[in-house]
Amino acid sequence: MDERLRKLSYVFKPRSIAIVGGSSVPNKIGTVLMKNLIEGRFMGDIYAVNPKYTEVLGKPCYPKVSAIPKAVDCVIIATPAETVPDVVEDCGAKGVKGIIVLSGGFEEVARNDLADRIIASSKKYKLPIIGPNCLGVFDPYTRVDSIFLPAYKLERPGPGNIAFITQSGAVGSTVLDLSAHYGMGISKFISYGNGTVLNECDMLEFLEKDKETEMIIMYLEGVKDGRRLLEWMKTVNPKKPIIAMKAGKFGKAMAAARSHTGNLAGNYMAYKAAFRQAKVTEADDLQDLFDFVKIFNQPLPKGNRVGVITNGGGMGVLTADAINAEGMEIADFSEDSKAALKKILPSYGNVGNPLDLVADAGVEAYDKAIEVLMADSGVDSLAIVLLTQTPPIDERIIGVLTRASDDKRKAVVTISVGGTYTEAYQRALESKGVPSYNSPVSAIKALHMLTNYSAWKGKIAKKA
Amino acid sequence: MAMLEDFRLLEKNGFRLLPYKLATEEDGAVAAALKIGYPVALKVVSEEISHKSDVGGVKIRIRDEAGLRLAYKEIMDSTKGHKVDGILVQKMARRGIELIIGGRKDPQFGHMVVLGLGGVYVEIFRDITARICPIAEQDVEEMIMELKTHPLLEGARGSKPIDRAALKRMVLGVCRFMEREDIKELDLNPVVFDEDGGDIVDVRFTR
Repeated sequence: MDERLRKLSYVFKPRSIAIVGGSSVPNKIGTVLMKNLIEGRFMGDIYAVNPKYTEVLGKPCYPKVSAIPKAVDCVIIATPAETVPDVVEDCGAKGVKGIIVLSGGFEEVARNDLADRIIASSKKYKLPIIGPNCLGVFDPYTRVDSIFLPAYKLERPGPGNIAFITQSGAVGSTVLDLSAHYGMGISKFISYGNGTVLNECDMLEFLEKDKETEMIIMYLEGVKDGRRLLEWMKTVNPKKPIIAMKAGKFGKAMAAARSHTGNLAGNYMAYKAAFRQAKVTEADDLQDLFDFVKIFNQPLPKGNRVGVITNGGGMGVLTADAINAEGMEIADFSEDSKAALKKILPSYGNVGNPLDLVADAGVEAYDKAIEVLMADSGVDSLAIVLLTQTPPIDERIIGVLTRASDDKRKAVVTISVGGTYTEAYQRALESKGVPSYNSPVSAIKALHMLTNYSAWKGKIAKKA
Repeated sequence: MAMLEDFRLLEKNGFRLLPYKLATEEDGAVAAALKIGYPVALKVVSEEISHKSDVGGVKIRIRDEAGLRLAYKEIMDSTKGHKVDGILVQKMARRGIELIIGGRKDPQFGHMVVLGLGGVYVEIFRDITARICPIAEQDVEEMIMELKTHPLLEGARGSKPIDRAALKRMVLGVCRFMEREDIKELDLNPVVFDEDGGDIVDVRFTR
């Protein structure tokens, strides 16, 4: 697999791309693909391959890939399944470096014969192939984009350090759209569909070495080789945290199950076991997924003691409840901290955890309180509740919270609950990379995940 | 007799079963119980009966010869019409916390081991956790801590903590057994643990 994985980088950083099935007929997939590259400002050469034309949307068009006079690094195939094996073989003979097959109509409809021919060509030419039956890839750094959903319908996220690998195109594209919406940058998007040649294990192996990727989101429906997946998760997760989501948890009860264990421990139990063994963070739904992803830009907490800062008592209490419910701890502030905090609070204020700065608190009070608790060795992470509705709070708080998030001495989550006005603050915070949540429970759950990951990495001395 | 073959295979793989003896007539059962020591349990052995207790094929906590003779007759009576190979006389298990230790060969992940709270509510509470084989002792420790009911094992309300080392050995043993003998499905259900160790009460596996 080595050679094929090495060549896979050409799919993301090609000097030239050919689209087989490239067209200019409105609403055709081949047209969307051409426009994605042209309007998406892909900087390399673009070719169309289609026997009907000699030019498509201003780009040269050839009857077959091997007829293109110059070298072609990456080929995107969107023609009917029956035509694909010959195109792949033609690409191999031409010396193409990597292929994305978007077309469906292979194993998923029992056309294993077609899949086998692709596999044969892939072996023969050591050719990496993504797909078939997928959306392919999107790379915001190079603007390679094989997603046949028009950009005006499906936003593309900007560059970042999170890679997303997905079996399903539908879920994948939704996550992509939401990532863009939340302002979350990505390094690579890979929808691998049937995984005929390259599957999730190969993608993990590839992303382990990928310079732009620091974290991996993985959406799985089923895998062929669970053992290999477990091994790769074990290898990659300690270096680049993996957040996994498994769909199809409640399949049909196993027909063969005669024992209690057989009944109790269905197939999902095996996935769950593998996630636990590899210490992979598991998300139960898309909301969890985004909640968890956001916090992984924070430093790993050394323990589970949380300091809470709030400008509203009730929200502080709800946050404390969430901390207890998650099995985390409310931190005890040091005497030094308490003395310093007393100076920040108004005369009637009480120093405690949660630290209630009260509604009179301005941006400066937050700034000072954060600085005090950042220096307190009895606090492992900070949950900062911000009621944006109080009179003294204004946009300067964005800067204060961004500094706290970038401080990197302790993990920080921010919690703001409210309507349209509050949402605008959240967006602003998110665009600065500040983990921002609209409920104490989701914030603390995410913090707990990060703390667990940290513990697994051995940063917490094991409890006796 | 499949049941005894299963027992022997388990013993060959290092599992210590409660002392047992197969009897084919009442006097033989009395002699066996004397040798094993009361209290004992009687279990019908028959290829035709898969749920022994459902047909009245199991009698437990038998304390003396009179009780044993009565139980023997009752089992033979209630299993009339089935081809019975004999009656298993087995040392009664200790009282303690009932757990289930099982395993399954998953089509994608291969052999996996399952640990959970056992007993009659196992299907309701579903307090179970699993790992892919092979595993190390640390994995079993994590499995135990993942059980919602783990405080029970640590001695809730005045009871003593169970023999955790014995439990870990048994889970590790199941993992090894699953892999070495290529078992499809296995149930040790229940296994009963107290502070001095654990007893396997019932075994079922398919290769």
